[in-house]
Amino acid sequence: MNRFATTLLAAFALIAPSHAYSSIDDALSFALEAAAPHVKQGFTVREDYWGGDLPVKTTKAIVHQLFKGNEYWFWMGTDEKGAKISIHVYDSEGNLAEVETLPSKPHFAGARVVPKKTGSYYLIVEIEKSPQERTTWALAYGFR
Amino acid sequence: MAALWRSIADSMRTLLIATLAFASVPTFAAEVPQKIDVSSFPKQAKVIDDVVVPVPSEVFNVLDKLGRPNWEDVLRSDKNPVKVPADQAHIALLLGTVISEGFIAVEAENSQEVKKIGGDVQKLAKALGVEKQVVQHAKAIIAGADKKDWNGVRRELDNTLRDVKEAMTELSNDALSQLISIGGWVRGTEALTEVVGKTFSKDGAELLHQPILLDYFERKLSAMPAKLKRSELVTDVQKGVLEIRPLVGLEDGTQISDKSVREVNEVTKRLIKSIIPKSN
Repeated sequence: MNRFATTLLAAFALIAPSHAYSSIDDALSFALEAAAPHVKQGFTVREDYWGGDLPVKTTKAIVHQLFKGNEYWFWMGTDEKGAKISIHVYDSEGNLAEVETLPSKPHFAGARVVPKKTGSYYLIVEIEKSPQERTTWALAYGFR
Repeated sequence: MAALWRSIADSMRTLLIATLAFASVPTFAAEVPQKIDVSSFPKQAKVIDDVVVPVPSEVFNVLDKLGRPNWEDVLRSDKNPVKVPADQAHIALLLGTVISEGFIAVEAENSQEVKKIGGDVQKLAKALGVEKQVVQHAKAIIAGADKKDWNGVRRELDNTLRDVKEAMTELSNDALSQLISIGGWVRGTEALTEVVGKTFSKDGAELLHQPILLDYFERKLSAMPAKLKRSELVTDVQKGVLEIRPLVGLEDGTQISDKSVREVNEVTKRLIKSIIPKSN
């Protein structure tokens, strides 16, 4: 098994599921799947994750301290195949800060940020559409 | 179903999976807005209790890119094993400090010091009743130091911090968990200001601009249980956080002066002297 796969597995094992969280863990596994190519490019995945469930067309804002000099990828996943999810990152003045997003696909969303300044940023996660009343999501991030 | 979600939410909190419930904001249309009105956030921010506290590796990662400081000069090397304080709040602050020291020892590529820190972490974790959660990490830290696998040691230090905090939270001791973070932040900031102060650079100083973290720590310190707030050390740390807050820039993009860097260094140095028992 190559180092990358081992790292990913280790990351996943450390945040391993208990039965109660199967849905969030499934969502997380998609987020980590989205992370895989970026880990190969040298991103270190933080072995904590964030998650919850949201109704359609509802967003949540997460406040995050980012450091200029680092590059970040935020990966969002959901286990709901029919859902469309998104994550966007704004700086403290409300300007869109991401330089790249993942192509729209079922289960994933992602945004890459190269902070122009050190400070607080807002991660805005949204369930854009879903066949379910509430949709489970998980978010992970990495830096290099 | 509701009970299940409550259970998930509770468990997530204990796992330090920072709760994200936070402010609802207007939904987006298909086009991603280039700008959003964050002026509405302060009102909504009342419900934002937690922020994502970065792992120390994020700061050291930037420092690595800014040059090659002499980390041996920054390292607080000590041959004696750590002395365990009697007070739990003090132990928690010291544990955070020691873990941060581990990152500095990694930067200095000092195997002996990293190995000693691995043992100290285990000793302090035992005093807090969470030794089980750090044993494997401590072993991995020591093994990593032997192999000079510095990235691996960094990862283990990050994981130690996470697991020990999680364990404290699971023991319904969120306040001590916060003190571990704060202790780590204080030592990390002392080291950062020492490095940046020696060869001042605007980019280096900008790393100190962490107002949301300081506000977050201040909120957590204010909300400490009365028993912990009676600790002189906890009070000193809270005062220190308040002293530092205006020095690190109120607005994003604010330039932090050489003088401010030195002042932050003085405050953190003072706090570290109180946190590290003299016989250490």
